[in-house]
Amino acid sequence: MQTDDLISLISMDSRPVDTGWLRRATWLSAFAALAATAGLVLLTLGTRPDLASAWTTLPVIAKVAFGASVATIALMLFQNSLRPGLKPARRLPLVALPLLVAAGWALLTLVQAPAEQWHALIFGRYWRACLIAVPLYALLPLVALLLLARRGAPVDGGLTGGSAGLASAGLAIIAYSLHCPDDTAPFLATWYTIATAIVTTFGALILPRFLRW
Amino acid sequence: MSLHELETQLRPIFLAALAGDEAAYRLFLDTISLRLRGYLRQMLARAGRTEASEAEDVLQETLLALHLSRHTYDAASPVTAWAHAIARYKLVDYLRRSGRHAGALPLEDEVDRLAGPSESAAAEARLDLARAMEALPERTRRLIDQVKLQGASIAAAADAIGMTETAAKVAIHRGLQAMARFLSKRRRPP
Repeated sequence: MQTDDLISLISMDSRPVDTGWLRRATWLSAFAALAATAGLVLLTLGTRPDLASAWTTLPVIAKVAFGASVATIALMLFQNSLRPGLKPARRLPLVALPLLVAAGWALLTLVQAPAEQWHALIFGRYWRACLIAVPLYALLPLVALLLLARRGAPVDGGLTGGSAGLASAGLAIIAYSLHCPDDTAPFLATWYTIATAIVTTFGALILPRFLRW
Repeated sequence: MSLHELETQLRPIFLAALAGDEAAYRLFLDTISLRLRGYLRQMLARAGRTEASEAEDVLQETLLALHLSRHTYDAASPVTAWAHAIARYKLVDYLRRSGRHAGALPLEDEVDRLAGPSESAAAEARLDLARAMEALPERTRRLIDQVKLQGASIAAAADAIGMTETAAKVAIHRGLQAMARFLSKRRRPP
């Protein structure tokens, strides 16, 4: 077929196109995935016993804020990475913001505490559970974002996969805060950051092979 | 023509096309394909491929990709950057698939190259799109033949085959999707 014929054929298929769909779909998928993940946490682990009184306390709010800010920044990157010609990688340093705030707060807490408490402040009671649960729960939003990414045009699979992983980790952290009984800043800054890094790396390495188009 | 001029020329046309204007869409595709052909030939030549038919193949694949990715265009960004990024992706993919390392592509692959010499002389493509057509359902193929070869309108072509116009439009859309999928999956010996 001649290129001219192809052009005729393509132009016949001209219908109005909604360029805002991808943006709306990203946020909707994220909210739906968050609700589903939270439901899954409730179903499998249940809430922390003191959630009724704890949910308004600073540690729980801090976990939700940490997860939400990581997820928001990552979703913006993710959505832009599905649109060719934008250069979302330039905004990658933004991701460091919530991580740095958490790290700063953790250091401040440690400096003010006697050294013999450091171990308890960092490791808490259930650091292994956090390290396993967050990446596992993140799989659910990750799959949702992967399916969405296939409807876009990712020209940088690593960036799309990485930002999808990062966003999924953020959403999983919000959901897991319903359960996680460890409330110290050093715990949050250490294990949530490591869990986030695990999911991000996983997304950046695994997703690109499903994103060819 | 500078890239800025090209952008100024293309942007309103493309926005009209996105709103459903068929004539504007046709004009956009004609204009961008001249630019992309020049760009792809240059880049392929740099990767050591000088056969014009290869550039034509990648161009056709790029045009299908542009068409099926229109919803990914961000209205606040330059349409030339969008088209270039898609062409570049398809080019790298093509080089990888055809066994040549994409690393042969020069790093300084700037969008400015779209503003380079435009190539109006279409080359004969290889048979890829013809093979992609063969993979379509028979009715869709007949429909496309009617539209393409006899220059019939969709309404007339649909009538000749005994489809409604709406069904014909859906069939063409699905046909284009299937052709794009076929092209991005094919492998060729190096």
